[in-house]
Amino acid sequence: MSKARLGAEGIPAEWLADFEAAARRPLELRMRYAFVRTYRPVLDDARFRAFDTMEDYRRWCEAHLPSWLGYGRV
Amino acid sequence: MAAFDFRQAKEIRDVFGKHAVSYLFIGKSGALLLGYPDTTQDADVFVKRTEENCEALLDALLELGFTFTDSQAAEVRRGKDFIQLQNGPFDLDLVFAPDGIERFEDAWSRHVDVEGFPVCHIDDIIASKQAANRQRDRESLPRLRAFREYWLETRGKRG
Repeated sequence: MSKARLGAEGIPAEWLADFEAAARRPLELRMRYAFVRTYRPVLDDARFRAFDTMEDYRRWCEAHLPSWLGYGRV
Repeated sequence: MAAFDFRQAKEIRDVFGKHAVSYLFIGKSGALLLGYPDTTQDADVFVKRTEENCEALLDALLELGFTFTDSQAAEVRRGKDFIQLQNGPFDLDLVFAPDGIERFEDAWSRHVDVEGFPVCHIDDIIASKQAANRQRDRESLPRLRAFREYWLETRGKRG
């Protein structure tokens, strides 16, 4: 991937084009493109969940969610 | 349920504002408000955990149309670290103790206002995802860091 010079590290040109295109869109349009509804197994099967600690939440995700959802820690 | 939309984001902003809830958009929804182009499903808000603020939050959520049992309402009042809401007009994650951020006041001091939406600084969004260290965060961080470069360089030029 080619790099466009912007900032010390440079940004891949494809990403830079994405960022610039997004910057030209008004906020309402950006949000319309950004929020999509998909069914996430298990995670979307309860109307309310509360966890005492973030660690409890992370452990619950790792124990109950399919790994392909990506909620497990590396 | 339809996807979260701009009208609902404005409802959060307006109703939370009416009830004087101290909060910040965080996570990918926060990054999206800053201009990061990506997709997500729900909004995440980092809420200041004080008794008064949690009470105000509960009132605001009820006004928005969320429904709670007595025990669920008590958990919101307590400000449990993480609460996932799918019991209202849209999905909303309440985060009272995001990974990688010590105190709400620290994040507030760095926050960015985007058309009236209070949003965590990109550095806090990145710090939170870095600390969470989930597979999905690991995959998104390089692009998010590139966006940070772009955002820092161009934010002064935007209106």
